[in-house]
Amino acid sequence: MLELANPLGLLALASVGVLIALTLLARRTRITPVASLLLWKRIQVPPVERQRFRPDLLFVLRLLLLLALAGGYVRPYVAGTAGGAAGGLAVVLDVSASMQVREAEGRRFDTARRRLDALVSALPADSPVLLVAAGYRPRVALRWTTDRTRLAERLAALDPLDTPTALAPAVRLALGEAARRPGARVAVLTDLPPAAGGLAPAELAAADWTAIGRRGDNVALTALTVDAPPFAEPADVRAEVVVRNFATVPRAVTLEASLDDVPWIRHALALPARGSRRVALGPPPRTGLLHVRLGGDDALAVDDQAVAWIPSQPPLDVLAVTESDAFAAAIRALVATAPRGHLEVVNQAGLSERAGVTAVAGVVTVFDRMAPPGGDGAGGLLYVAPPPGNTVCPSARVLDDASVVDWDAGHPLLVGLNGLEAVEAARAVQLALPPWGVPVATAASRRAAYPFLVVGEARGRRRACLAAELPPGPVTSDAMPLALLTLATLRWLAEPIADEPITLPTGVPRRVPGTVGAGEPGVLAVGDPAVVLAERAGVHRVGRAGEPTRLVLASLLDETESDVGRDGAGTWPASAAPARHDAAHGQSELSWWFYAAAAALLALEWLVWSVAG
Amino acid sequence: MTAGGPARAAAARLGALAARLGLHVGGRMGVRPGERRFPGRPQPSGLEVESHSAYVPGDDLRHLDWNLLGRLDALLMRRFTAEREVVVHVLLDASASMATPGDDGKWTAASELALALGAIAIASRHAARLVVLRGDTEPRATTVHRRRAGLVAMADLLDATPPGDALDLGRALGEYAHRHPEGGAALVISDFLVEPARLEPGVAALRRRGYAVYLLQMLGRADAEPGRALASGVLHDVESGDTHPVALTPDVLARYAALLAAHQGELCALATRQRATWTSSVSDTPVPAVVTGELARIGLVRGR
Repeated sequence: MLELANPLGLLALASVGVLIALTLLARRTRITPVASLLLWKRIQVPPVERQRFRPDLLFVLRLLLLLALAGGYVRPYVAGTAGGAAGGLAVVLDVSASMQVREAEGRRFDTARRRLDALVSALPADSPVLLVAAGYRPRVALRWTTDRTRLAERLAALDPLDTPTALAPAVRLALGEAARRPGARVAVLTDLPPAAGGLAPAELAAADWTAIGRRGDNVALTALTVDAPPFAEPADVRAEVVVRNFATVPRAVTLEASLDDVPWIRHALALPARGSRRVALGPPPRTGLLHVRLGGDDALAVDDQAVAWIPSQPPLDVLAVTESDAFAAAIRALVATAPRGHLEVVNQAGLSERAGVTAVAGVVTVFDRMAPPGGDGAGGLLYVAPPPGNTVCPSARVLDDASVVDWDAGHPLLVGLNGLEAVEAARAVQLALPPWGVPVATAASRRAAYPFLVVGEARGRRRACLAAELPPGPVTSDAMPLALLTLATLRWLAEPIADEPITLPTGVPRRVPGTVGAGEPGVLAVGDPAVVLAERAGVHRVGRAGEPTRLVLASLLDETESDVGRDGAGTWPASAAPARHDAAHGQSELSWWFYAAAAALLALEWLVWSVAG
Repeated sequence: MTAGGPARAAAARLGALAARLGLHVGGRMGVRPGERRFPGRPQPSGLEVESHSAYVPGDDLRHLDWNLLGRLDALLMRRFTAEREVVVHVLLDASASMATPGDDGKWTAASELALALGAIAIASRHAARLVVLRGDTEPRATTVHRRRAGLVAMADLLDATPPGDALDLGRALGEYAHRHPEGGAALVISDFLVEPARLEPGVAALRRRGYAVYLLQMLGRADAEPGRALASGVLHDVESGDTHPVALTPDVLARYAALLAAHQGELCALATRQRATWTSSVSDTPVPAVVTGELARIGLVRGR
């Protein structure tokens, strides 16, 4: 059926009257010279005939041109049948953690689901529905469909996640989808008021907004940190947790902590209204899984617990291979700074004698200006100032005065390490990037910029290439940044690979070295290097078949999401009419055909006018 | 020295046409010998004996018919047929109507026809002069030319005289006949979109002076078929300045065609009454085709 997107454009047809009037006026005033009126004066034109309007070819062309322009202006289209009838409802359903809050009538999410059912029931049977789940990112849970059974199944399968919410992208997605369908509406079901949605006023005006929930008596764990200095004694590890009361009245809660399911701490806390407490958990008695939880009943349960890992801190055990006494002295001074450091120094001949001995896990082998290919075994490998021409840590030439200018702050090796901009070396080799490594720090000299520290894993062993030569003698204040970087590298090399848990907040992706295999429900893991994202709080495992799995420890540590109190439920209907899209799904826009015809008529009119002129 | 105009360019193309055609005109004989035979007016000398007359003392004895003297014993003088030139006066209407509409080519065709007739006249050993009739000034004319070089002078006169202003053609012809009573042939080239009653006195004046009058009408396409060239609106007479609204309906165009045919019939009747010759052509017909077609049909030109 032909319809008009701009029916007011029909007023443009008034231009036809203007054309007729102008043509009549032009004819009355058009003066044509003739040789003589001798014969013409004998032809008397009757008054009626004189006033009759007689169109010529030019007038007809101009009339068609005006009609074509008016036809394009009214934007006609043929409504398609694909995708169902016009109209429909795009629904944004908030699936963030706060939707788990238990109200008097049930969970906020269940209330939203009932409201959605009511909205859908009020629609015509052939009106399509689009379902968008708004969690940490928007996700189309169900594309436009008129199948109510399928919609009900998908709704039943939906459940709120343990993540914060990003509502604005989801609403914008729904608005964009609705704009492609004439008459489609957008409905948002959330516990946030419109002002907290992060949307522009025009966007808010285009959506029917329903806010659900009121309860605000929530106490949450908003931070859990574990500070474990490298190579430190277990007694030097510190764990700290922050408990916050989001209620408007004081609350008393119980804080419990366990290590590997063994109870460790139990504290009673009194929290002021809208106040917080920082609780130091003290040195843990052992390494393992730290699980902190709050007792008592409150609005939201998922933020009442958090998990972290108390790492094991093996002593620093270094095997240095060098021909240089100066290097031996430097590495000895460096290892001496670690509380439980152990160093053995051999030369290359001594290394050859150990060739048949399997490398011990936890022992980091440091090569000084040499790069023998590391065989299979355990333990990390550090190549310091590898010589040019080697195949393990490719390098070009020796440079003077290297300074670190850039680094990957998110790499686990650099966690807690500051002052990298002060790392300098009097002499360094210009490293190239090996296939197994990624640059963690980049340096620049007068001649070039190049990787300063390259790390990676190959054949089950961690490896690192350090461009700088270690300064001889004790560690001075000038050489301290380089010493710290080298110690951090040694710590990373000493850590066992497979057992290192991945700790992250829910809804926040984190890149981890290597691949981790597929995740279980609630955890997503893709790519190489892997990106891990937890949708569910708690302890998860990821890994490949036949390989050791890795722990993923996820916690909802988000103050905004835990502040679940609302001013009250409400409904804000859309104040703007549904936007129409020129290229709507299922429509055939015809206006451009009219414009093309107008262009052709214009050319033809000009041609006729120039010939007649 | 003036640069060559369109008339000069047209004159340069007429050599071949004039070489193969001869102009056959009537009119009073001129005083100079020519190729035109005038029987009935025996002259003392000539080529063709027409009659005899009695000897009168003083006659040239070279023309005494000695045969007749021997047979009849009478003194008889041979009298010969007069062969004189005819002065061909090409009278070209240069009023504003001859250049309207501007893209009709009527003036161009009329100018070229005038030059063609002048060239054929000179090639036929007649004398020719070109007279351009304008309403605002005295007629501009060349001298009488008997050589081909005179064509250049005629072309220069045409290039220097653009058409314009209103012309009373009948009156202009009468005044010309009064100023040039020597007679000859008058070839009048015009669109003749004038009242025949106002034209006839001028034609009669020329006839009285012994001119053989040839009325050569040159119409433009807009004059002959206005539906193809004009648009509905207000028509403006370029000479009188009058206006007349008109809608070019099929009925109107049919009425115009009938009026034009009637007007041409009146002009033809005028010519018959005044013992002149009438013909009509349209400007989009090439001039050589007019000369070898219509003018040959009326006997004004003939092949040599």
